Amino acid sequence: VPHSGSSMNRKKDKGFEICINNINFQRKSVIGYVELTIFPTVMNLNRIKLNSKQCRIYRVRVNDLEAPFIYNDPTLEVCHHESKQRNLNYFSSAYTAAVSAVDPDAGNGELSIKVPSELWKQGDEMKVMKVYIEFSLDQPKGGLHFVVPDVDGSMAERAAHVFSFGNQNSTRFWFPCVDSYSELCTWKLEFTVDASMVAVSCGDLVETVYTHDMRKKTFHYMLPIPTAAPNISLAVGPFEILVDPYMHEVTHFCLPQLLPLLKQTMSYLHEIFEFYEEILTCRYPYSCFKTVFVDEAYVQVSSYASMSIFSTNLLHSGMIIDQTPVTRRCLAQALAQQFFGCFISRMSWSDEWVLKGISGYIYGLYLKKTFGVNEYRHWIKEELDKIVEYELKMGGVLLHPTFSGGKEKDNPTPHLHFSIRHPHTLSWEYYKMFQCKAHLVMRLIENRISMEFMLQVFNKLLSLASTASSQKYQSHMWSQMLVSTSGFLKSISNVSGKDIGPLIKQWVDQSGVVKFFGSFAFNRKRNVLELEIRQDYTSSGTQKYVGPIKVTVQELDGSFNHTLQIEENSLKHDIPCHSKSRRNKKKKIPLMNGEEVDMDLSAMDADSPLLWIRIDPDMSILRKVEFEQADFMWQYQLRFERDVVAQEEAISALEIFPTPASRLALTDILEQDQCFYKVRIQACFCLAKIANSMMSTWTGPPAMKSLFTRMFCCKSCPNIVKTNNFINFQSYFLQKTMPVAMALLRDVQNLCPKEVLNFILDLIKYNDNRKNKFSDNYYRAELIDALTNSLTPAISINNEVRTVDNLNTDVRLILEEITRFLNMEKLLPSYRNTITVSCLRAIRMLQKNGHIPSDPSLFKSYAQYGHFVDVRIAALEAVIDYTRGTHFVLTTNFLCLSFSMLGKLGPFSWSGIFFIFQLVCLLQRLYGNCSCHTKGLIVNKRNPPSCLSIQR
Amino acid sequence: MADSVVMGSGSLNSGSRSGSSKTSTSPTDNYQLARRRTLQVVVSSLLTECGFESAEKAAMETLTEMMQSYITEVGRCAKATCEHTARSTPTLSDVVITLVEMGFNVDTLPVYAKRSQRMVITAPPITNASVVPKALIAGQKRTHPTYIPSHFPEFPDPHTYIKTPTFREPVSDYQVVREKAASQRRDVERALTRFMAKTGETESLFKDDISAFPLIAAKPSAIPYLSALLPSELELQTLEETDSSEQDDQTDTENNSSNVSQDDQSADKENVVLPPGGVVPTGKANEENMIDNPYLRPVKKPKVRRKK
Repeated sequence: VPHSGSSMNRKKDKGFEICINNINFQRKSVIGYVELTIFPTVMNLNRIKLNSKQCRIYRVRVNDLEAPFIYNDPTLEVCHHESKQRNLNYFSSAYTAAVSAVDPDAGNGELSIKVPSELWKQGDEMKVMKVYIEFSLDQPKGGLHFVVPDVDGSMAERAAHVFSFGNQNSTRFWFPCVDSYSELCTWKLEFTVDASMVAVSCGDLVETVYTHDMRKKTFHYMLPIPTAAPNISLAVGPFEILVDPYMHEVTHFCLPQLLPLLKQTMSYLHEIFEFYEEILTCRYPYSCFKTVFVDEAYVQVSSYASMSIFSTNLLHSGMIIDQTPVTRRCLAQALAQQFFGCFISRMSWSDEWVLKGISGYIYGLYLKKTFGVNEYRHWIKEELDKIVEYELKMGGVLLHPTFSGGKEKDNPTPHLHFSIRHPHTLSWEYYKMFQCKAHLVMRLIENRISMEFMLQVFNKLLSLASTASSQKYQSHMWSQMLVSTSGFLKSISNVSGKDIGPLIKQWVDQSGVVKFFGSFAFNRKRNVLELEIRQDYTSSGTQKYVGPIKVTVQELDGSFNHTLQIEENSLKHDIPCHSKSRRNKKKKIPLMNGEEVDMDLSAMDADSPLLWIRIDPDMSILRKVEFEQADFMWQYQLRFERDVVAQEEAISALEIFPTPASRLALTDILEQDQCFYKVRIQACFCLAKIANSMMSTWTGPPAMKSLFTRMFCCKSCPNIVKTNNFINFQSYFLQKTMPVAMALLRDVQNLCPKEVLNFILDLIKYNDNRKNKFSDNYYRAELIDALTNSLTPAISINNEVRTVDNLNTDVRLILEEITRFLNMEKLLPSYRNTITVSCLRAIRMLQKNGHIPSDPSLFKSYAQYGHFVDVRIAALEAVIDYTRGTHFVLTTNFLCLSFSMLGKLGPFSWSGIFFIFQLVCLLQRLYGNCSCHTKGLIVNKRNPPSCLSIQR
Repeated sequence: MADSVVMGSGSLNSGSRSGSSKTSTSPTDNYQLARRRTLQVVVSSLLTECGFESAEKAAMETLTEMMQSYITEVGRCAKATCEHTARSTPTLSDVVITLVEMGFNVDTLPVYAKRSQRMVITAPPITNASVVPKALIAGQKRTHPTYIPSHFPEFPDPHTYIKTPTFREPVSDYQVVREKAASQRRDVERALTRFMAKTGETESLFKDDISAFPLIAAKPSAIPYLSALLPSELELQTLEETDSSEQDDQTDTENNSSNVSQDDQSADKENVVLPPGGVVPTGKANEENMIDNPYLRPVKKPKVRRKK
C-alpha cells in the first residue's frame, strides 16, 4: 500500500463520462452513472479513491469487473457525540482534519474502491482502467438545487428547474469524481430530461435525441478541453432560449416569461467579450458560451467551463437604472473567470490567489473602460478600505499560505478561528476579502511592471494553456493549463525582467496591511516641509512597511511628487518646497493635471506655500493613512484636486471641521455637475453631519434644501418637484440621495426639522413618473428611507403603551405614507420589491424608536418562503433587530427563534441554506467576536458540511 | 266621433294622457272634465226648459254626447271650410256655411238666442289657467327666419339641437394642476388600498385598534420572482405613452426590420444614454434562419426504433 505522501501521483484520469438518465422533480432525485478512464502512474494500483458526498452508490465496476468499495464521509459527524470538548477551536480543528482526510489533492476521497485482483497485473503494465459507477441522489442538500414552485400544472409549466451550485470544489455532491481543480480530463456528458425541458451543461451540445417513447430527450455534450471536475455544471429547466444576436455561438437561457428581460440584459454582453479578447489578445478559449439565469441561486454569479449560472434577479428591463450597472459588473466578472478560473485552473489551493487576482484585475480594467477612470479609482479605494477595515478588525488575510507540516503549531494564521488550509474550512467573509486583496495585489504588480507587461504575462499563460489543451493526454502537457504561484512569478520575471520578490513577500506571503499616521510642519526659514510618517505595526492585522512611498505636495507654484524612502527608524522627512509664500501676486495655480486655476487664497496660512499634501496618492500600498492637515487644506483639496480619491478623502476629513468654510466647500462640490456623482453623494452626507454640528450657528434654510429646490423643483412653484425625468443619471442619483441625507438633519431638540419632514412628504406627494421612461421604484424607496432617517426616539412618559391615539402627528403622517406604499406594492409590485424592503425597514425603525408597539409578527410573515428574496432578508433583519432590542437577548432564546423560523421557511432546501448564510452574517454582527460553539454546531447539524465554512 | 275629438285635442300630449289615466290630474283632463260638466249643465237646463223634471243618467249622457258631437262637428267643418279658402282662422261666415251645410236654419238662431225663458248658465269657474310647467329654457329660442310663416311651430329650445361645447375654463396654473393630480392620485390610491384592506386579510401595527393602519396581508407566491422582476402593466403602459418612437428600439427588437430607418436615426441618440441596447443589426429576421446554434436544431428521432 503506497503511503499517503506519494499518493498524489497514483492515478491520473483522462476521460470522464457522466450520464444522468433520470431527473425526478417530484421526488427531487437523480439517477445516473459515471465512467472514468484512469491511467495508473504507479505500480500495483490496488485502491482508487474518489470523492463523493450524499450520493448513493449502487455498484462499481473496474474494466467490467465488479469491484468492492467503501464509503466513508468523516465530515458527516465532525465531533463525536461523546466528546467532552465543546468549543469552536476544538470543532474547527476536528473539521479541518475531516476535510483533509478526504482532500483529493492529497489523493484522498470518501469513496475507496478496491481494484479487483485480476487487474493488478495490468497495473504493472500501466494499462488504462475504466471505472464505472452507478449512483443516485435523493433530495440533495448541496451540489444540486431543485426549485419546484408549488403550483398546478406540469413541471415545465411550474417553471421547475434544477442547477448545480457549490462553494469551491463541490462537484462531489452530485456525482462521484476527483473533486480537485488540478485533475484535468476531457468530458462527455449525457442528460436525459423531460421533452419540455432543456439541459444546459459544459462543452458543445453535439446532438439532442428523443427517447424511444418520445417523452424525453437526451442532450449529448462533449467537452474536449481538459477541465477539472469542479468546473463542471448542469442546469435543467423549461428555459426560454435566446441566441445572442451578435455572437451566434453564445446562447442565453432564462425561466419562462422572462425572455424580454433576458434580451435587454444580454444586449451588451458582446462588448465585454470584445474587451477581454482585445486586452488579452486571445480568443475566448471555448467554442461556445452559455448563460443560465436561475431562481434561488447560491451566489449572484458562478462560472463553469463554457457556461455561467446567474441569479435570475439580475435580469432587468430597460426601465431600470440602478440594476443595470450591477448586472453588467456581474456579467463582466463571470466572463473574466471564464479565462482565469475555468479555462486556466490552479495547481493547488494556495495558488488560488493568482486566479482570483487575475480575473479580478482584468475585471477592473473592464470597469475602467466601461464606467470610466473615476468609477475605477473609486472602486479601488472602496476595495482598499474594505480590506483594510477587515484586516485591522479580524486579523490578516494571507494570500499564499505555505503549510510545512500537518501540525497545529505551523498554522500560518493563528489569529483566525478557522483553518485556511482548505477552501471548505474558510469563513465566507474571509474568502470575499481574500478575493478583494488578490486583485488589489495584482494592481500593485501592475504598478511595478506596467500594464503592458502584465497583459503579456496573461497572454503567455493563455497561449500556453491553449496549446496544451489541444494536445493528447499522453503528451503530459496539460499541466500547462494549471497556474501556480511560482509559475506565475517566473512568467512575470521573464516578461518584465523585473524582480518583484519584495512585493510578493510583503503582500502575498505575508498577511496584514500598513497603517500610517502622518503629520507635517512647515519650516519657513528653510522653506522645507517637515513630514512625519509613523506606522503602527503592532496591532493585529498590520505589518511593517519598508520601501518607497509617494507624497504629492500641491504648492502655490504647482504640484510636485516626491518619493520618500520609509526606513526602519526614520520618521521625519524633509521635503524642500518650490515656492515661496507670495500671495499678493495674482497668478493662476497649476494643478497636477496641467490645468491652471484661480483660487481664493485668503483662507491660507500667509507664511506657507502649501495648499495640500497627499500620501500615497496612487494607492500603491495596501494601507490606511491618517493624515493631519488644516481644515482649509482639506477644503482646497476637495475643491481643486481632480482625483476622486483625494476628493473623497477630503470629504471624510472635513467631517470633523464644522465651519462655514467647510459648508461652502461641500455645497460648491454638490453644485458642480462636472464633479463625479459619487463624490457629490458623499458630500451630501458630510454636509448633513457638519450641519448638525453647526446647529446653533447655522443660518439660512436647512442644508441642501435650496440646492435641491434649484436643481429639481419647478421654477414657478419651488415647493413642487418637477415631474420625473431620469435621463441624466448623475442628477438622478443626486436627486435620490439628497432627501436621504437631509433627513439626517436635526434641530436643537434633536428632532428632524419640521421643514425638512414636510419637504420630504411633499416630494412623495408630488412625485409624478408618468412622463418618465425609467422606473422610479428606487427613487420612491429612497424617499421612504428618508422618512426612516427622519425618525427620532419617541418621548415616552412612564413607558406608556403605544396606541393609535397617542401617536405623534408627524409620525402619523409618516405612517400614512408607509401604509399606502406598502399596500400599493401588493397591487403594483415594484422592481425587486424595493419599496416593500424600505417600508419594512421604516416600520422596524418606528417600532425601535417607540412610536408604535414593537412586534415582530409582521416581519415574520414577510420572512416566509414565497416572498421575494430581498424582502425576506429585510424582514429577517428586522426580526433579528427586534430580538436585539428587547431585554432578554439570550443566546438560546435568539437561536430558537431564528432557527425555528428557518424551519418554517419551507422545506429545508437551498433557500434555507441561503438564510443560514444571511443569519450567520447577522449573528456575526450581533455577537461581535465572541465565539459561541452552539452556533457552529447548529449550522452543522442542519447543513451539509460544505457550508460550514461560514459557521461563526 | 266624440272620441276622435277627444283624441284629436289630446293628440299633442297623448303621451301624458295614456300615462295619466289613473291619476287624471293633468290639466288637459281637468279641462275636458270641466267642459263635459258644463255641457251636462247645458243639456239639463235645456231639458228643464222643455219641461222635464228628471232624466235618467244614461239619457243625460247620451244627450250630452250628442250635443258635444254636434258642436264638435260644427267646429270641425268650420275649420275645414276656412282652410279650404286658404285661411287659418275661421270666420263667422265659415260657421254660418257650416250650419247651413248641416241643415240648420240660421235665421232662427237670433230668435232662439233671445227667447225669454232661457236659462243663463254661469261660466264655469276659471280655474287657474293650467300652467304648462315651464320647460327649462336654455338659451334664447331662435325666431323664425323670414321664409317661415309665423304660425309654424316655434323652434325648440336651442339645447336640443345646437351643439354647445361645454368646458370649464382650463386651469392654467401649474401649481394647481400638480396639486390636483397629486391629491387625486393619492385619494385614489388610498381608497383603493383601504378597499383592498377591508375586503381581504390584513395585518395591523397596533393591537388596540386593528383598523387604524390596515396593511394588506403579505401572501407568499409560488413564483415570487415574476412579479418582482417583470414590469407591471401600468409601467409598460406609461412607457408606451411617454414616447413610443423613442422606446421602440429599446424594448422591441423584433419589429426592427420594419423601421430600420428610424432605428438608425435614434441609434446615435440612444448611445448617449446607454451603450447600444436593443439595436440589433438589420435584417435580423432573415439571419435568424441561418443561425447555426445547437439549441435551435431540431431534436433527432431515436434511430434504432425507426429501423425496426
